[in-house]
Amino acid sequence: MAAGPFGTLRTQRRAPLKPALLMLAVIAGQMRSPAQADPAERVLALGGAVTEIVYALGQGDRLVARDTTSTYPPEAAALPDVGYVRALSPEGVLSVAPDLILAIEGSGPPETMEVLRAADIALATVPEGYDATAIVAKITVVAQALEVPEAGARLVAEVEAALAGAIAAGRTQTPPRVLFILSLQGGRIMAAGADTAAQGIIELAGGVNALSGFNGYQQVSDEAVLLADPDVILMMDRSGEHAAEATDILTHPVLGQTRAAQTGAILHQPGLLLLGFGPRTPQAVEALSAAFRQAQG
Amino acid sequence: MATADNSPTRDFVAGDRQGRARRVMLGLVALLLVTSTLSLGIGASGVSLWSVLGQIARAEAVAPREALILFDIRAPRLALGLLVGAALAVSGAVMQGLFRNPLADPGLVGVGAGAGLGAITAIVLGGLLPLALQDVVGFYLVPLAAFLGGWLTTLFLYRISTSRGRTSVAVMLLGGIALGALAGAVSGVLIYMADDAQLRDLTFWGLGSLAGATWDKVLVAGPLIALVLVVTPFLAQSLNALALGEGPAAHLGIPVQRMKTISILTVAGATGAAVAVSGGIGFVGIVVPHLLRILTGPDHRYLLPNAALLGAALLVGADMIARSVIAPAELPIGIVTATLGGPFFLWILLRNRSLLDL
Amino acid sequence: MLSATDIHADLAGTPILRGVSLTARPGQITMIVGPNGSGKTTLLRALTQDLPYRGRVLLDGADIAALPGWELATRRAVLPQASRIAFPFTVLEIVRLGLIAAATPAPGHRASEALARVGLAGFEGRFYQDLSGGEQQRAQLARVLAQVWDPVGPDGARWLFLDEPVASLDIGHQLEVMEIMADYARAGGGVVAVMHDLNLTAIHADQVLLMQDGRCLAAGPPAAVFTDAILSAAYGCTVRVNATPPAPATFVLPHMARRAG
Repeated sequence: MAAGPFGTLRTQRRAPLKPALLMLAVIAGQMRSPAQADPAERVLALGGAVTEIVYALGQGDRLVARDTTSTYPPEAAALPDVGYVRALSPEGVLSVAPDLILAIEGSGPPETMEVLRAADIALATVPEGYDATAIVAKITVVAQALEVPEAGARLVAEVEAALAGAIAAGRTQTPPRVLFILSLQGGRIMAAGADTAAQGIIELAGGVNALSGFNGYQQVSDEAVLLADPDVILMMDRSGEHAAEATDILTHPVLGQTRAAQTGAILHQPGLLLLGFGPRTPQAVEALSAAFRQAQG
Repeated sequence: MATADNSPTRDFVAGDRQGRARRVMLGLVALLLVTSTLSLGIGASGVSLWSVLGQIARAEAVAPREALILFDIRAPRLALGLLVGAALAVSGAVMQGLFRNPLADPGLVGVGAGAGLGAITAIVLGGLLPLALQDVVGFYLVPLAAFLGGWLTTLFLYRISTSRGRTSVAVMLLGGIALGALAGAVSGVLIYMADDAQLRDLTFWGLGSLAGATWDKVLVAGPLIALVLVVTPFLAQSLNALALGEGPAAHLGIPVQRMKTISILTVAGATGAAVAVSGGIGFVGIVVPHLLRILTGPDHRYLLPNAALLGAALLVGADMIARSVIAPAELPIGIVTATLGGPFFLWILLRNRSLLDL
Repeated sequence: MLSATDIHADLAGTPILRGVSLTARPGQITMIVGPNGSGKTTLLRALTQDLPYRGRVLLDGADIAALPGWELATRRAVLPQASRIAFPFTVLEIVRLGLIAAATPAPGHRASEALARVGLAGFEGRFYQDLSGGEQQRAQLARVLAQVWDPVGPDGARWLFLDEPVASLDIGHQLEVMEIMADYARAGGGVVAVMHDLNLTAIHADQVLLMQDGRCLAAGPPAAVFTDAILSAAYGCTVRVNATPPAPATFVLPHMARRAG
């Protein structure tokens, strides 16, 4: 692999992003790892959920750095930050001298990942997803890469059990219709549609997304929101802005008219907890379904 | 007077700024060497250029990690910074000369808008391409789309503003504004369709970065940028004559139309290539030529090479800052050029008002 | 010899020149006069290919439309009406632009020489923008002179085409510029100028072309063209040639002015 300066970076064909193949890639990545003999001791975690899983596996002391989105647990925040997960610089990553990189799917840019592959650093890509199986897959990949399969199996069992309990407890006769608002800048409503972490967590907690018919986070028309008439409005927890945001919603010409606003069912949850789909998701489901129940009286 | 005229070594004439321009050129070469060396030597990983060079000198094997950082990360990044900086500054100077306006930049001929539209399209809709095609272009899809977008927009604009063999600079300027608005609208639709991650990608693309530098990119963008650097110095006297107006330039024997065609096409190619590999880095194209005009006058025979040198040094320097201040993370380079350059440029403007009132 | 035959030109669809012919000889000053809008400047612009025209313009027998630009530039220079210049060039740099086209490499002091010729000695280091209108016009004239410095080259006469060269000049500098034109013609070069001032034209022109409404109304030596009848018809008012006003009037004629020194 250690060709001349001009030789190592020839374009390699990108593998299609299919989870099954990713698993193979992980294994392949480890096979060619020069540190195969010893488990990796300098680990870089990219992605909030990935970092949480490393800590939940009890392997936090092996981490040497993290990305900007890794803010939990508090110990993680003390680690050096290599930048935003989709805009990493190759030398920045190499400067923390990792021997294993755990990267959430979509880490990039691709050029940087290419250089890291050329640097012969073991790279495990952790698949992203917004349901129970996705969490299990994340934990499994991370545990395998860290060579702690037993701890991984324990954590999987733990999380699966907790999640099943939380889901069962959250199930109701009439699932609340929940509107997730990503931002409310200038009165414009940016809300979650299908194929989002927000919809994933709402469904796990026994609710349904009040909006349908589009993917991702989109600005939605006032009339669509009025028509959807959500029972609950869910937002991310930004420190200190609760009251202001609640006022914004109550005074908003359309949101103020919804059942959620009139019954005061406006919920704030920490963003990473809510949308991270990591080991804390059972907690998030519990908290959210409790809040749903309370909101529905 | 007579003695001065007869002296072969030194006949200084007031208003002749060629000597100063040459001295500035020497200074800029030195500046470029210093920034380039520093840029190779400084990085988050702390790998030292000198120790690697020492190892090479002693014919020792260079550690693979150090070789990778120096030869495959820092060196292509330096090369790309040099090329992009020179391309942006020279393209700016040429466009300003062509449009006879110190505020012109390649954006006026639609390169920026077109390249931006290309990049956005690739980021948002790239996933819709057949897998086979995605495999072929790989992660060069965005640069490729940006280049094609910029180049095609300019060609189109050039076509509509040229009739009976004469290109109207005014039509081109206004057409550029119209196309810019159109591209903005289409971009708006695409941004609306984009998901979260794509939006973040778009933001980062717009701020520009050299972080994705690879030798492949250098090899792809290099020839197009080299073309503008090689060709435009031959247009220097023509650009000088053009300052008098198109008619007077023609009476000085300048093939005005041919020169317009050549400069527009080469500039579109170089800017398109630069934007494609580094994203949107504004500011260099306007500020560098301005500074040099204040320093050594508008003579394009010196302005163009000096702009190439200063643009390259500036971008390499800004990139060094971009990857040092919050290491191991890094800032988009557009933020650095704007934060440092903005106030400095304002200061220059305030101090040299009389020179700029045109 | 410059000969233009049956020149037609339109501006925005309106015919401006409706068949003008003109012959100018080297060694002479040929001046084009006429009322506003009669097509004087348009004729000069057609003769110098600044705008599309129909008809033929021959320079020493060769159709100028067929001559390459660089070759034409060695044989003729064109002074435009007051022109704006982009970017802060110094006067010296502007005059040196004329040397781009010069047939033979010029000596280093040529630009300063040209500036001295138009009365701008010592202006080399000034910024063109900072000059007054009249100074700018003379700086441009210096540039044009530098381009075709020798009135006669190995391939024949050189030509100056001047569009209102004295328009914004005071009487002293008007005389200076007229003298430059006269010297150039006397040395064998050709001069074609669009003029506004009938007195200066009467003094210096060898040939006059009087235009009206896109046509040539009269052509010939000033004495033949400048008659009461012809001028009155051309300018639409009663004009009297060589008549002095009644006693108490004050008038200043360039005929009686002499340059100091």
